[in-house]
Amino acid sequence: MIRFLFLNHIQNAYQSMKGSRVRSALTMLGVTIGVASITVILSLSAGASKIITDQISSLRGNIAVIRPGVATNPITNLTQARLGRDYSTSTLTESDITYISHTPHIQYVAPLMVLSGTIKADSTAPSDSIVVATTPSLDNISDFKMREGQFLDKNVEQNAVVVGTQLSINVFGNESSIGRTLTIHGKEFTVIGVLKRMNDPINYNSIDFDNAAIISFAAGKKMNKNVTQIQQIDVKADSTANLTSAIGAIKTALLASHNGENDFSVLTGDQISQPTSQLFYMIAGVTTAIAAISLIVGGIGIMNIMLVTVAERTREIGIRKALGASNSDISWQFLIESLAISVGGGIFGYIFGYVVAFGITRFLTFDPIINWQIAVVALIISIFMGTLFGLYPSIRAARKDPIESLYQYN
Amino acid sequence: MTMAADSSTPVIRLRGLEKRFGIGDAENIAINGINLTIDKGEFVAIMGPSGCGKTTLLNIIGLLDRSIEGEYELDGQSVATISKRKQARIRSKQIGFVFQNFNLIPRLNVIENVALPLIYKGITRTKRLKIASDILRNFHLNEREYYMPHQLSGGQTQRVAIARALVNDPSIILADEPTGNLDSRASHIIMEELSDLHKRGNTIIMVTHNPRLTTYASRVITMLDGQIDTDTGSFKFKGQSITLQPIRRHKRSSRQLKRNKK
Repeated sequence: MIRFLFLNHIQNAYQSMKGSRVRSALTMLGVTIGVASITVILSLSAGASKIITDQISSLRGNIAVIRPGVATNPITNLTQARLGRDYSTSTLTESDITYISHTPHIQYVAPLMVLSGTIKADSTAPSDSIVVATTPSLDNISDFKMREGQFLDKNVEQNAVVVGTQLSINVFGNESSIGRTLTIHGKEFTVIGVLKRMNDPINYNSIDFDNAAIISFAAGKKMNKNVTQIQQIDVKADSTANLTSAIGAIKTALLASHNGENDFSVLTGDQISQPTSQLFYMIAGVTTAIAAISLIVGGIGIMNIMLVTVAERTREIGIRKALGASNSDISWQFLIESLAISVGGGIFGYIFGYVVAFGITRFLTFDPIINWQIAVVALIISIFMGTLFGLYPSIRAARKDPIESLYQYN
Repeated sequence: MTMAADSSTPVIRLRGLEKRFGIGDAENIAINGINLTIDKGEFVAIMGPSGCGKTTLLNIIGLLDRSIEGEYELDGQSVATISKRKQARIRSKQIGFVFQNFNLIPRLNVIENVALPLIYKGITRTKRLKIASDILRNFHLNEREYYMPHQLSGGQTQRVAIARALVNDPSIILADEPTGNLDSRASHIIMEELSDLHKRGNTIIMVTHNPRLTTYASRVITMLDGQIDTDTGSFKFKGQSITLQPIRRHKRSSRQLKRNKK
């Protein structure tokens, strides 16, 4: 009985929407934009984290990352700028590196110190180029592929530099730049190696190595007036099984050396893959705002249209009641109509969202992810909207007095 | 329904029925103490001037108007004790409405309009359309099934409205001026149809302005100022109520009616 009524309500909603095409389409548009924005956010963020997850699993999953400050939860990350982390002094120190490297089962430790400084040779590198000071161990952890030359090792001079392919092109005009010199922060460095193009600006090191100049930790420290400023410490254990115990030991050691202040975080696995790209945060922030606004506006649109529809059909409500419709029958009729609008809009939004997401990723280095979870989220949001904003009009319809409705003249 | 089968229980029993609209100074008494018993199988015509409460009475009988004073028993059960949902079910299964102004739903076509009451009985779409199609054939409207209401003539529209009232096979048919503005030929066709239903044992209560139509009824009630003015009473022959030409009182009321119209 309920099922038949349900089918009938759907047919009815379809007819009604067909009857006022433009109105329904415009109402749907609000939901479409909202759901599309959400689809964009979710598919892109899933795409971005998948890259990092893939990187880590390709490194057999036995690496951990230590970052200064306490890891914020991902939702706050989405909606708040990360001002604190960008400008405060790092809480990680050189002595921490020593503690960590003495931890059992830890094979390699590589600190990352990102420096500011203009990179210059034939031409000046664009401002998005990065200078990073690190130790040779980074090669063992991140498993760099060299295009030519070698990575830093214990024997190279302090003025050695390894550059990314894009940086090489930017400052020298071509990809082969072994032996040539460039200046960073006014100091001369000789290129000893060029990294193979990686094309993944999003990674667990938060550094686009295609655009980076890698110098030794000592040189970096000297350039920074003998002050270390460690953004991240990469750690590799001898096996995945020993990683957990090693992390525990690191935490204890660091906590002791930091006087019990929990001002660092040790991240493994999925924790590292929380996307850190600034671009991603920008896209996510804007689309979240659009989504929230358009979902509310879209919802108000639905409610408005449903109230108009109820008013237009007052007489119909009276007739239906006289012919045996109960209050809940009437209520369901309008609720399902509002759901039809919101779910219809949601489906278009889901499709449109992917069109936009694929459009955006033409300019990015990763693809949006298509999975069932995003479809379910889009559907749930649509159903929630239709119910939330359709409830009041449908209750109003059901409460109409049959006699007043029947004798209303329109 | 079991009670309805028992011929000794009246289908409709009203005791001291009152209905007021508005409150305080604006209060208006539409029905002012009506006692009325209608048995199964009666064809009752209710007459009276405009504003005497005929339509209100019909709405109350049809369970559309709940805020009443006094007693209303339908099939021996007090209406006040029946839940809203149950009342909707009674409207769906037992009562057929024919409205004065047709009241077809303009955005649905003829067959969908006729099939409308079946929705609330929980009948599947294919079955609904089949039943509706069958009944439309009885009314010689089978060629108009997919017309929209505005494409029909007045007579056709009213026939569709009657077909819709009958599609549920209701035991009580409430008709509010079923021949409304129709010419005498179209009125005749509709009255023949109602008369036919009456002969098959249905209870019919019809409000009308037209005294000629009362010839089809087995009982004529005239109303004045929210009260029953005259009542011919029910005439039964061999257990079945028969059509009877009303007596003088009716003629007076018809004259009164004409006076009122002027």
